[in-house]
Amino acid sequence: MKCEIFIDPNCEERVIVYAKENNLITSEIKRLAEQNLNELIGYRNNEIVKLNFISIDCITVINNKIYALSDNEKYLLKERLYSLEEKMPQSFVKINQSCLANIKKMEKFDTTISGTLKIHFKNGHTDYVSRRQLKTVKERIGI
Amino acid sequence: MNKYLKIFIHRGLIFGGFGPIIIGIIYAILQEKVDGFSLNGIQVLVAIVSIYLLAFVQAGASVFNQIESFSVPKSLFYHLSLLYLTYVACYLINNWIPFNLTVILIFTAIFLTIYFVIWITVFFSVKIVSKKLNAKLQ
Repeated sequence: MKCEIFIDPNCEERVIVYAKENNLITSEIKRLAEQNLNELIGYRNNEIVKLNFISIDCITVINNKIYALSDNEKYLLKERLYSLEEKMPQSFVKINQSCLANIKKMEKFDTTISGTLKIHFKNGHTDYVSRRQLKTVKERIGI
Repeated sequence: MNKYLKIFIHRGLIFGGFGPIIIGIIYAILQEKVDGFSLNGIQVLVAIVSIYLLAFVQAGASVFNQIESFSVPKSLFYHLSLLYLTYVACYLINNWIPFNLTVILIFTAIFLTIYFVIWITVFFSVKIVSKKLNAKLQ
């Protein structure tokens, strides 16, 4: 089966498959395409919002609930952090026990007086890199 | 309950138990190496409880560095002061140093020197990592 992918940030995303019959490949493509792999469902003031991964700064636990922080908004998520960790793309890295951070949304790292690293996100949010996750964060950022 | 107090207690409870384990190991070594080394029940109890509290405070005190409203010198002051007072109290209660002004001053000097050497070493090694990460983010 031939495969072509056209990248256009402004297009409406859809998958069209020409096949002689339904088979394993077509059903797998259909399953993947319908999974909304790039989106999460967030809740804010009784609104249900589709959140694109690239717009999320970080996913963090606040008062035992999981929120996606995007720009200056926070959206309640109804998934567990560990399942989100598996679902999120490579640009997300676990920085501590309760936060998955989007590397592309990090503005800078700072050193605290206790010798831990503090991340400043582009939306102004800050969080800490735990010592346990430091190695992973360094690897994912490329040092 | 205040968020930072919760973190303090949580960290203290996680790491507090390490204190008595360490003191147990030290006493075992002293027992092996020092002739006539012995402790009575009260001394052991005081050592276990005081070392537990010392480890509890040592672990929990790191929360001062996370309090956003505290400036760097203020966090450092609270962290250092709390640790210093706990250490001095622990050493005096266990008679590891005598209740003598000169000895306490020498202890203070040693404590401050070690505290700042550790702090500077950790701070600058993390600062180097932070710089490298920032360079990659650009």
